[in-house]
Amino acid sequence: MDTPPAKKSIVEIVRATKIYTPDVVALEDISLSITYGEMLFLTGMSGAGKTTLLKLICGMEHPDKGLVEVAGKDLNRIKGVEIPQLRQQIGMAYQDFKLLPDRTVAQNIAMAMEVSYQSIRTIKKRVIELLQKLRMEHKHDALAGKLSRGEQQRVTIARAVANSPKLILADEPTGNLDSKTTRLVMELFEQCNISGTTILIATHDEGIYKKSENRVLELHSGRLVQPADRTISTPNNMP
Amino acid sequence: MKFFSNILLQTSRNLQKTWATQFMTLLTVSLSVLIFSFFFLIYTNMIKAGERLGDDLRLTIYLEEEPVLEMQSQLVRKITNFNQVEEIRFTSRDDAYNRLATQLGDNVDVLDDLDPSFLPPSIEVYPKKNLSSLAQIKRFSEYLSTLPGAIKVQYGQEWIERFNYFTKLLRIIVLLSGTLLILTTTFMVAYTIRLAVVARQAELEILRLLGATNGYIRTPFLIEGFLQGLLGSTLGLLALFFLFRWIELHFSGPGFLQLVEFTFFSPTIIGIIIAASITLCTGGSFSSMRKFMRI
Repeated sequence: MDTPPAKKSIVEIVRATKIYTPDVVALEDISLSITYGEMLFLTGMSGAGKTTLLKLICGMEHPDKGLVEVAGKDLNRIKGVEIPQLRQQIGMAYQDFKLLPDRTVAQNIAMAMEVSYQSIRTIKKRVIELLQKLRMEHKHDALAGKLSRGEQQRVTIARAVANSPKLILADEPTGNLDSKTTRLVMELFEQCNISGTTILIATHDEGIYKKSENRVLELHSGRLVQPADRTISTPNNMP
Repeated sequence: MKFFSNILLQTSRNLQKTWATQFMTLLTVSLSVLIFSFFFLIYTNMIKAGERLGDDLRLTIYLEEEPVLEMQSQLVRKITNFNQVEEIRFTSRDDAYNRLATQLGDNVDVLDDLDPSFLPPSIEVYPKKNLSSLAQIKRFSEYLSTLPGAIKVQYGQEWIERFNYFTKLLRIIVLLSGTLLILTTTFMVAYTIRLAVVARQAELEILRLLGATNGYIRTPFLIEGFLQGLLGSTLGLLALFFLFRWIELHFSGPGFLQLVEFTFFSPTIIGIIIAASITLCTGGSFSSMRKFMRI
């Protein structure tokens, strides 16, 4: 990914539909454009399709119909080494964490940087920096499997931002956190966003997007709808 | 450089996690190399011994009467017509008697009551070294027995035949143990890697999602296969070397082993065995990844 031109889309979804076997419509006719450097929220009830949408964007799932492009690459068509190259540029904080329980916190976070062959010194420094930001420096050598759900959630967030990706996708990143820790996590995302990272946060937590001036998207039964209390914003009327 | 340091880090983590299985596989590979190289060592030494025995091969034709000079040249012509020979030596009755007396040494008095001409005259034929196979020696011996005045032809056929069968048996054992080596190294390593892949499926899935390349995921498994081959064959050969030295130390002196003059493998053969083990183990690891790794 080269330096993004102004207002160019990093994510472009055109009329995407995802149906799970046998006939569960997870997403229907979704069209969405996210510009470079944008931070936006994706809301909706459980089962509305938020996680599926994030999975389509990070390439874990493919749409049955429609087009999903990330950084100009059609995810249905990219092959070979392009796939890992693109994935290294996307940081995903999973709702189910996807941590390795028998590895330490530091090792779990480091994985994201190791796959892009960063030097061991850089990795160690970055891991300590992130743990300090999330007030978890004392858990550096703790096994991920021994952590509380809130702590595991912070580790998965740290891993998502560790490699300084161009795009961060966070699935319910504050679901298990108290308000103080939620603030820490949001500060971390805001810092990443200020440094140019595009961030899409799927959340139930009204507290983190109600007062935000960022765009909010709402999913209802697999379709994008206008949020009840605000106009569906587009990249053109972004703040 | 960063690629290698990360790959080595990943490999060492893998080995730490699966050390028990890896250790058992290493032992199996070592044992297979030991069994194969043990029989191969005996076989190569037997081949060398066979070559040395071939150098000393002599066919003795016992005659009814001592041939006169003209007859001798006729016999030489007939022998050389059939096969090129290194040397033909005529032994008279007296020469045969004197040789026996010398061989008896202090016990020569047993010949006192015997007629000095009781031993038959003979011709000793030393064939060229190209006469190597048992069938060729047999054919030559049959031809020599048809020479005028020949009573019997001797070349230690029983001993040579036994040696020949023993060498054949060894060849079969070497082939079988070689097959065992191939099967154990390839399949055991492939199975170990398969277990490691299955045990680490969740980790591989996460690595894949984080953007790990095929090289990043596969190379540690290939290095594991490489190390199994290198360490397994080195340990197997070291064990054989110590066994060889022990046998040499305890069985040296006059006897069978002294006759055979056992030698250990040359550095080239050692290199070939190690390289073959590495290739087989890495190949096993590679085939296992192709089958079981979904990347």
